[in-house]
Amino acid sequence: MNGKDIFKIYAPNGAKWIDWVRPVPFVAIDIYNRKPISDWCDRKIVFIKKYQQDSAIFVDLPGKESIEFGIALSYLGYRPIPVFNGTDEQQGCIATNNTYLIESCLINGSEILKNINLKNDANPAFLLDSYRINRYRSKESIFDNSWDLYKQDVPSAEYFKQNNIDKIIVIGDTINQDIKKILLNFQSKGIEIYITDGYACPKRIILKKTIKEKFEKEEI
Amino acid sequence: MKLIKIPEDRYYDYKIQAMFDCYKWDPQFCDNNTLSKYVLILSKEENEELVKLTQNLDKETIIAEEYLNKNIKIAKKLSLPKKILEQIPSMQNYDKTQNIRLMRYDFHPSINGNWVVTEVNSDCPGGFAESSLLPNVAREFIDIPNLEYNSFGERMVEVINKKLNKKGTIMMIHCTCFSDDRQVMQYMGDRLKKEGYNIIYGAADHINFKNKKAYCILENNQTSIDLIFRFTPLEWLIQMNPRRWDGYFSSLTKSCNHPISIYAQSKRFPFVWDDLEKAGIDMKTWRSLLPETFEVKNTTLKDGYIYKPVYGRVGEKISIKEACKDDEYEKILKDVKKHPKQYLMQKKFESNPLKTEDGKQYHICIGSYTIEGEHAGYYARMSQYPRIDSYAEDIPVLIEK
Repeated sequence: MNGKDIFKIYAPNGAKWIDWVRPVPFVAIDIYNRKPISDWCDRKIVFIKKYQQDSAIFVDLPGKESIEFGIALSYLGYRPIPVFNGTDEQQGCIATNNTYLIESCLINGSEILKNINLKNDANPAFLLDSYRINRYRSKESIFDNSWDLYKQDVPSAEYFKQNNIDKIIVIGDTINQDIKKILLNFQSKGIEIYITDGYACPKRIILKKTIKEKFEKEEI
Repeated sequence: MKLIKIPEDRYYDYKIQAMFDCYKWDPQFCDNNTLSKYVLILSKEENEELVKLTQNLDKETIIAEEYLNKNIKIAKKLSLPKKILEQIPSMQNYDKTQNIRLMRYDFHPSINGNWVVTEVNSDCPGGFAESSLLPNVAREFIDIPNLEYNSFGERMVEVINKKLNKKGTIMMIHCTCFSDDRQVMQYMGDRLKKEGYNIIYGAADHINFKNKKAYCILENNQTSIDLIFRFTPLEWLIQMNPRRWDGYFSSLTKSCNHPISIYAQSKRFPFVWDDLEKAGIDMKTWRSLLPETFEVKNTTLKDGYIYKPVYGRVGEKISIKEACKDDEYEKILKDVKKHPKQYLMQKKFESNPLKTEDGKQYHICIGSYTIEGEHAGYYARMSQYPRIDSYAEDIPVLIEK
């Protein structure tokens, strides 16, 4: 299977939410001839017992775990939507982010996903890499391939609500800054936000702007 | 000019091909699909007219920018950022024969039957792969014989081959955190690699300058550079720390584009046309195509006019009321009041939307490239409302033979 075939497993023709699957890591699978990893871990979802019709999920864990959780969620009926957006570094360089691992794990995930029969309108589980925001460079010669999730990378609050989704469950240790901006907007439009570490029952949270965020120049 | 639909049952395959074979890595923006389900067909006559107008605009722009580079007093009227203004003396060694000049002019069809030009993307125009590869793929999906297109990429390769030794190193400078910047660079880099060039992808601060020559500081890629291919806008470049960006302005290494591009990038460019004409520089093509433009002197918006930011990109902060979302229009007016010098006022033109066979209508913007003064293909976008912004859809352009 090449990158295009693998992409089609995550984004099959006619399924809902697939327009948000980012092609970037799938294109890289072909360019750099990526292979599946050998230490894939099958996860089990315990933080919810069954598919929830009114919820979408944001999996914000380190890349490999994120894909493993995404595939585990597909057994419950959620469609994993990879939104990884980091590009590969110039050959020979040190990079801030490991995109190779994500590209390889997507291959592993596709091998499982192709045998799971998901409904065309299955709710989405957006897969993110929590290391994406690591942009620390100890030397200037390091290639910064960190990335942020922006509001344009995911559906709007209105779109979620039109599709009867009024709860977002974030799987992660914390609500990262870039997602917080998006979720604050969702929250203001009536969507409830929950967080779980991937094991405990999701807890509802109310996001608040920090003083600094309150004074940040509003984007037009 | 007409819009032809890609057959509905083949659109999924078309989109996959666009993403994987045409570097279209950003096919979605919020809830909007940014890859059009249509193809834009130009008649031979429309193409010839656009080519002629584009090349005339380019001739005027190139003469104007060289004059402005030598006449700092006039250039000051463009309200260039202070840090850039300070660099004008360093740009006096600019030699156009040593650099590659790339621009893209945005044409819109108006209800009067004329073309209107709203801006020149003088510094870092994008859309290379959409212009170079997408038309060829689209042609396979619509069953119309005898359609051709001008490939931006092939023209660029031709020009670079004339100016550079094929063993040379080209550094593709972009914001490495943005995949939508990388897709532009990756297409051009892959195409140039096939010619034999050594291609390095990096950020603006991965270049250092010694004796006015650029060299790459990336690990295991430390080498001198023969061409800087820049996709990082100058307004961003000058924010870079540590301050090494001065080197871009005085560099003797070939550049595409050299920072001389900043003069026409400022949307205050029309405010120096009187001075240019006094100096004998003809600006008649620009005058005939750009809507009347004024400084924001008081912040009462005249009927039939809009505000535009001096350094806006992809339609952002343009106060076309019917195109603004939520409270965007009010926010722009508030911003104009706060920062009137960062905006200008322009006469609003009535865009003439194209109707499709299935009863929809779309406003069109045709970006027409020039490389070294010659037309170099099109990058078009379309929108359901009369502003071409980030929500707009990319549409391949084909030309009747």
